[in-house]
Amino acid sequence: MSTTIREPKDSLALTEATDLCRDILGPPATADLDRGLDTFLANISPKRTQPRRFVRWSLAGMAVAVCTLVVLQVFSVYRKRGSVGQAEALTYRVDGGSVLEGGYLRESGHAGMSLVFNEGSRLVLAPGTRSRLRIVDRDNAHVAIERGRGSFQVAHKSNRRWLVDVGPFLVTVTGTVFTVSWDPVSEEFDLRLREGSVVVSGPVSAGEIALRAGQRLVANLAKVQTVITEEPPDQATSDSPSAPAAPTVAEPGQARPAPGPSSGTAASTLAKIAHDHQWSRTLARGQWDRILQDATRRGLEVTLSEASSEDLFALANAARYRHRPDLARSALLAERRRFPESPRSLEAIYLLGRVEEARDTGIAQAIAWYDEYLTRAPTGPLVGEALGRKMTLTDKLEGPARARSLAEEYLRRFPKGNYAGSARELLAL
Amino acid sequence: MPTVPSHVSLSLVVGQDRRAASDGDVARALSAGEAWAAVETWRRFAPMVLTLARRTLGSQSEAEDIGQDVFCRVYRKVRTLREPDSFRNFVYTCALRVLQTELHRKKMRSWLSFEQPEVLDGHSGEALDMESRDLLRKFYGLLDRLSARDRIVFILRRVESMSIEEIAATTKTSESTVKRSLARASQRMSRWMADEPRLTDGEGWGR
Repeated sequence: MSTTIREPKDSLALTEATDLCRDILGPPATADLDRGLDTFLANISPKRTQPRRFVRWSLAGMAVAVCTLVVLQVFSVYRKRGSVGQAEALTYRVDGGSVLEGGYLRESGHAGMSLVFNEGSRLVLAPGTRSRLRIVDRDNAHVAIERGRGSFQVAHKSNRRWLVDVGPFLVTVTGTVFTVSWDPVSEEFDLRLREGSVVVSGPVSAGEIALRAGQRLVANLAKVQTVITEEPPDQATSDSPSAPAAPTVAEPGQARPAPGPSSGTAASTLAKIAHDHQWSRTLARGQWDRILQDATRRGLEVTLSEASSEDLFALANAARYRHRPDLARSALLAERRRFPESPRSLEAIYLLGRVEEARDTGIAQAIAWYDEYLTRAPTGPLVGEALGRKMTLTDKLEGPARARSLAEEYLRRFPKGNYAGSARELLAL
Repeated sequence: MPTVPSHVSLSLVVGQDRRAASDGDVARALSAGEAWAAVETWRRFAPMVLTLARRTLGSQSEAEDIGQDVFCRVYRKVRTLREPDSFRNFVYTCALRVLQTELHRKKMRSWLSFEQPEVLDGHSGEALDMESRDLLRKFYGLLDRLSARDRIVFILRRVESMSIEEIAATTKTSESTVKRSLARASQRMSRWMADEPRLTDGEGWGR
């Protein structure tokens, strides 16, 4: 017995999508075809085909050579690892203090203390800093700073894992020079990275924050504020471990060599806010729920007040796609308020109009947003859209007589635009 | 010495209009290495191939690259064509094979977490509104989840509006295989689309 497979019927949304795809992705333009023909003729010219074969074989030869090198390199790394593991344990010398039971470090005077490790790494503790060595062995170095400031210079060639507990934060270190402090009273964490890279995890981060050379991370738990700034090299090097027991190292709570996020440099820090979750990538992958969950987990208020411009925009779009207009509106308003000079701010104004349109009573407000966009970005990329939407809504709200002037303006500026048909219909009435 | 006048009259030789040539003539000329045939092959079939590639991949830049691959392949393989009169089918089949390979490669790249190319890039001619762009981006995001064969069958049927018989002939598979593939793709796409709420109420997709 044979079974017949019936052709399935598509959903309405799918039919709309395929129709749109067919309409928009039509035949290529003549200019594209001409350009393609030139490329094609160049590709098949005899001059091109012979060298291509040569290039292909050369590439194959190079690939084999690269693979061989990689295998040799991996082999040598493993050998080196083995020899390091067997060779030397991590030892250190303490200057200006001593190590107590449990690894606690106590300074002998009031000038701070320093530890010099046999692998070349160095740690300088500012006066009054309370810290301890948790683990120091062949494979790991784990230091904790409970209060105060420490400057680290971790040797690049070291294969050991360096971890630093700073208050409630954990800093994972690769070959790096940095200074870090924790003030339990103000609950402020401050890390300045001079060289290399570190990864910071802690109570204000949904994930891990990776820092690169020249960046400073200040996290204030009491103010729920986390800021990353770029610092000029001279500022970042001012209290490096190469200058041990430097008097410029301040006690927590005292005046700091570099201003904190609440001082005058705060405006510059707006360029880059911590917790840059790269939601725009998540959005591009269609994982809108993940963005919304991330934002909810972190707290919507905190997200709206701290997220970067790109993240806010991604959040707004995720909220629109998931039909949460209130959240979309809040995110777009935050974008407009916090990043008034960014290009996203203008897009946010246009999208606020789209969000308002979705409300039954939001037409007048939507027109106002489109007006604002047209005023602020008279030659912006969304002018056609804004003008077209304004024309449509004016027709709906106030009738065709009021919308005709907009239709004329639209046709004058965008004779082949998306709303040209509607504009002509309006003028024909 | 007296010269003998020629009896052959001079005449203006006009280049033959190759547009009137049949597909078979073009294939034979291309196989013989005649220069005009390459131009005519491109002129005749490039719109079809590039449109198919754009609709299948959703990216103009990728479609242009694929177009070059297809025509270079046609140029190399045209000598193996047994029936020059079926040149159009030959080009189309080449295009489908190259597209299928590219879709497999894309899938592999996504597994390896390489960067995904932006869908709807480089469509300079069309002024897409944001909602249409959103929908198409989402549409191609969902298409990425289909297998290469299901995706191609779906595009051929739903977007290129080919019949089941034509698809079977072009993809060199049986009609039941095409139908199964189409049923699977349609059901999945409809289900996935239903799971995604629209951008706005009652407006379709801003069209």
